[in-house]
Amino acid sequence: MKELQIKAAELLENGTVNLLIGFCEDLGKRLVPCFIETAAEANILVFNQECKNNLSVYLHKKEVKDAVKIGLVANVATLRSVLQLLSENQLWSLTLTYLTVNGAGELVVLRSAEELEAYVQANFPTCRPEDQEMLDKLNAMSREERWAFWKDQLSECVKCYACRAVCPMCYCTVCTTECNQPQWIKTSAQTSGNFEYHTMRAMHLAGRCINCGECGRICPAGIPVHLLTAQMNQEMEQEFGGKTGWSLKGGYAMNTFKPGDKENFIK
Amino acid sequence: MAETFEPKIVAFVCNWCTYAGADLAGTSRTKYETNVRIIRFPCTGRIDFMLLIKAFQNGADGIIVSGCHPNDCHYTSGNFHARRRWMVFKSLLDFMGFPSDRITFSWVSAAEGKKWAELVNETTDSIRSKGPFTDYRTLDYTLLTQLENEGIAD
Repeated sequence: MKELQIKAAELLENGTVNLLIGFCEDLGKRLVPCFIETAAEANILVFNQECKNNLSVYLHKKEVKDAVKIGLVANVATLRSVLQLLSENQLWSLTLTYLTVNGAGELVVLRSAEELEAYVQANFPTCRPEDQEMLDKLNAMSREERWAFWKDQLSECVKCYACRAVCPMCYCTVCTTECNQPQWIKTSAQTSGNFEYHTMRAMHLAGRCINCGECGRICPAGIPVHLLTAQMNQEMEQEFGGKTGWSLKGGYAMNTFKPGDKENFIK
Repeated sequence: MAETFEPKIVAFVCNWCTYAGADLAGTSRTKYETNVRIIRFPCTGRIDFMLLIKAFQNGADGIIVSGCHPNDCHYTSGNFHARRRWMVFKSLLDFMGFPSDRITFSWVSAAEGKKWAELVNETTDSIRSKGPFTDYRTLDYTLLTQLENEGIAD
């Protein structure tokens, strides 16, 4: 921890970084994101297993982008999403430095996209066991049971769109949810509109989701929405090969095609 | 229900192949089921998955999505992109427990008027045997009331 604070202060001091995004404790001892601009403030930094927020979502904000030279204290899931964003050409205006702690508890500083790529590939996160268990359980169900499951879950959704706000891959400035000519997503709180919204979200994230699980974690209604994108992730990996957030030249599976793609479902 | 059930089928077709194929079926005086409502698109690549959901929401019992055969696309690669999208969309619907067998995907070229007529007949038969599609509409309170009035849902 001390090591991280010293390193962060050093980076801010020598101008490598203008803005550092990391974690600190709030008055209630919760770990919350913090934005540090001077070396003197670096002593509030905290980083441990409980720091779960995916901070890469802030990299889309104008106020953050204006700082240009940005430091990010991040876990490997966050680094993976940064890599995916880089491959989608979203962070071209930024100079990024990453601070992370590896499995052995040592501080690692990554100064370039290539170093980031190598680190992520060496420490690639796998699907969380509890999610895998849930996916296997759902896939083993009959269609009717699955329908009942999602109908029950999605009836709880209040369309707060927190899952969209927290997602680093949801960076469109205009979203289909706000489009009202035609009204794609019904605004009233009923299951039919929720079904549309979550189908749309999963489709738009298919082949791009890096499976950080933030959407499911922050859902105030406790809906496991991350399972939809996790399932799509696995299917697309199986069908088209390639992993999301694996390399700088990852590309987007839905943006391309192969002449030999599966078509046994087409008459 | 007093009347026998006749399915409403919405067909999303591309302008260059399937629409022309359907046109050929018409000019050849081929008779086929009248349950289908055709919506013409510039290309299958233009068919957004949200349109399919919207059709079900508005009371469609079945959907046909059809376009040019691979390598025949007027815009070179629209149908290849569409094929991927449908594949992913279909597996998502399956995962959510949505009866994806109510959507028929097909390739019908401009010369295949006969195939078009057969496709419509087959789809209509299969949807007729499956009965009205109420799963999705029961998610919506206003539509549920409507279904109850029609005596379809209990």
